[in-house]
Amino acid sequence: MTKTIAIIIIFLIAIALGILVGPTRLDSEILQLRLSRVVLGIFAGGILAFCGCLLQGLFGNPLVEPYTLGSASGAALGASLGIFLFGAISPILAFLGSLGVGFFVYTIARIEGGLLRDRLILAGVVMSFLCSSLVMIIMVLGGRELYEILYLLMGYLGIIINATNRVMIIALIAISIGLVAFLYRYHRELDIISQGTETAAGLGIDIQKFSLVVFFSSALLVGLTVSIVGAIGFVGLIIPHVSKLLFGPKHIRNLGTSFLLGATFLLFADTLSRVITVYELPVGVVTSLVGVPFFIYLYKR
Amino acid sequence: MNALEARSIQFYYDKTQIIDNISMSLSRGEFLGIIGPNGAGKSTMLRLLCGILRPKQGEIQLFGKNLHEQSQRTIAQNIAFVPQETHFALNFSVEDVVLMGRYPYKRPFQPEDQKDHTAVEHAMNAANVEQFRNRPINSLSSGERQRVVIARALAQAPRILLLDEPTSHLDLHHQHTIMELLERLNNEGISIAVVHHDLNLASLYCKNLILIHAGKIYAEGKPAGLLNKKMVREVYGIEVTILSHPEKNVPQIFL
Amino acid sequence: MFLHRKLFVIIGCLILLGFISCAQEHTNSSYRVVSLSPAMTEILFSLGAGDKIVGVTTYCDFPPQARKIRKVGDFSNPSIERIVALKPDLVIVNLPEQKRIKSELDKLEIKTFISSPKSLQDIYKELAAIGDTLGLRRRADSVINYMKQNIQTVRTSDRKSVYVEISPKPLITIGAATFLNDLINAAGGTNIFEDLEKDYPVVGQETVIRRNPEIIILLHPEDASGRTGWQNIQAIKNDRVFKNLNPDHLMRPGPRLVDGFRELKRIIND
Repeated sequence: MTKTIAIIIIFLIAIALGILVGPTRLDSEILQLRLSRVVLGIFAGGILAFCGCLLQGLFGNPLVEPYTLGSASGAALGASLGIFLFGAISPILAFLGSLGVGFFVYTIARIEGGLLRDRLILAGVVMSFLCSSLVMIIMVLGGRELYEILYLLMGYLGIIINATNRVMIIALIAISIGLVAFLYRYHRELDIISQGTETAAGLGIDIQKFSLVVFFSSALLVGLTVSIVGAIGFVGLIIPHVSKLLFGPKHIRNLGTSFLLGATFLLFADTLSRVITVYELPVGVVTSLVGVPFFIYLYKR
Repeated sequence: MNALEARSIQFYYDKTQIIDNISMSLSRGEFLGIIGPNGAGKSTMLRLLCGILRPKQGEIQLFGKNLHEQSQRTIAQNIAFVPQETHFALNFSVEDVVLMGRYPYKRPFQPEDQKDHTAVEHAMNAANVEQFRNRPINSLSSGERQRVVIARALAQAPRILLLDEPTSHLDLHHQHTIMELLERLNNEGISIAVVHHDLNLASLYCKNLILIHAGKIYAEGKPAGLLNKKMVREVYGIEVTILSHPEKNVPQIFL
Repeated sequence: MFLHRKLFVIIGCLILLGFISCAQEHTNSSYRVVSLSPAMTEILFSLGAGDKIVGVTTYCDFPPQARKIRKVGDFSNPSIERIVALKPDLVIVNLPEQKRIKSELDKLEIKTFISSPKSLQDIYKELAAIGDTLGLRRRADSVINYMKQNIQTVRTSDRKSVYVEISPKPLITIGAATFLNDLINAAGGTNIFEDLEKDYPVVGQETVIRRNPEIIILLHPEDASGRTGWQNIQAIKNDRVFKNLNPDHLMRPGPRLVDGFRELKRIIND
């Protein structure tokens, strides 16, 4: 119990730092900037870590992360098509790209009466490569116009929330929180399926349905996230492991703590990226640089 | 009405036929041993019986009703399946593992209640693992782990228990502990079907045997009637000596 | 607990860093410009408006006074927070490279000036426009005239084919939609890739070999002579490969193009 309270306190500290710390003095305009970053950071960090926990549980594979299913490269593909055709990044296309790739992955992986689980990872990896290649082709044809793709691939929390996009962002966040709450019901299935598909089937879990729902919900959540803030790496892969190290294997705990830890971690990384250099370091770079040593430290204990 | 009834089952894996027109039944309160050489189809038949696999043709009935027309939850409330070996990728506590056996009775978001905890206590006591309740599952020996898995199966409050080679990785002591546990459970009214590769164990504990060979039923009946030199020669291809067990009066095979 | 102690150290450092970087200077002019374009920084100084600039990128290195101005980021990753904190009246952005920062600035209703010159004429137009914006049109006109007078088309019957290489891996050259292309034309040469409409296309080695340029200009430090298959290119055979030009004189759309043009004329017509 004390660990949970500690995590919540650290989360609140991360929010406070996200608002107060930066290279410039705080005033109303800077406050708007910082609040936007904090909101997006909580949303993105929480969702990515949550989906990472979900997918690692579903596939029983510790190396799975939200982008294994092709969501990031799918979003990049959708976005680059948007630039190529319309001259602007369209979050809608990015989202559709992400979901579309998820659908393709599912189609590739499906066999008559067979179990989805094992093939989804392979199909996801293959589709990721395909999408990356297609994005490269579009980049070569498109040329300099594709600068924004770099942001999408590296992640960017600096999107300002103002009157125009506030409604859309709130709606997206609300949908995501709704989905997260809904997916929480699968905590038992996630515990059980770690012991094998036969155990799960024997206990009455409809593995096909479960895999599908979790898979597509994750694709949706990750697609939403990537289409807004780009593909921030590392969070979805490592945070679930950190959560398990701190809180044990049960998913009823880990789904929630992954969300909190993911949000906290991303907020810290973003605050750091703001003050380290004059550049605005892509937050995905900072997450890797900061995350790796921290994870090694935690793992050694 | 039988606990489980299988009629004219055909099953294929890819294009290979594994089960060729098998009809068999598990009566209420029976302790059935399914024996046969490797690859005969025993494990497949067990999985067909509990619904993990679906036959290409034929029907399986659970207490008189078609198995596949019932929900997986209902099936799991009636039949518990214990696989040969369980690999625990996540190191849950023993009590948490057994608690997972209550899954078929839980609705989404419904927390565990008194009934669940009582069932878990009862199951852990029956399988003699309550002293391990807070230990991480991977810190136990394989025999102890197998008992925990059986406890989890018991937590399902099943009327039927199906086990796939439950003793094959265990030492002598644990082999008999498990079989004695199964005998006790059978005496309390649970219908049990066990796939065994060890003919002698099957003969000692199972009341009836079914011998599956090349996807078909070769013979069925009591151990005394089934286990003879002719059968062993034809099915297993070796010559053996068969003697009667001095206390239990069932055939035992000596190589 | 182990977690608590380390955490407080990290948090303490972050707060300290935050306070340290908080110091702000105010320049002494009333119209505040942030320039995210090194070329535009040069142009602003040439208009005598250097004192209006309150923020620049790390690449804004000319004239030397520009280096003393507060940095807000590099070319691709400017920090929106630092820009906003300077309370600029105008932010000069490059499109398409800085599209993202522009859309965020638009959201905050900060006025932006777009620089995206694809030809010499575009440069003159942008000069005039920035002159108008800053109320320095006359000075802008005189800079434009200075450039026009010194970048005059050379009349020649013997046009040399020129290949300009901006980056070796992958091979990036200039297409028709660049001011450098215009400069080469004016200097009496022909860009071998003028048929490509893009600004900075990526080309293959074999295409360059096939088009057999008479002059090669390298705007990066790597050598071209050792490349396999290139030994039969005219420019290599006749030793007309030029490496030591200042790329800032040819790649920055500003008054220093005059110096670049002079070099080009010399190379091409010698």
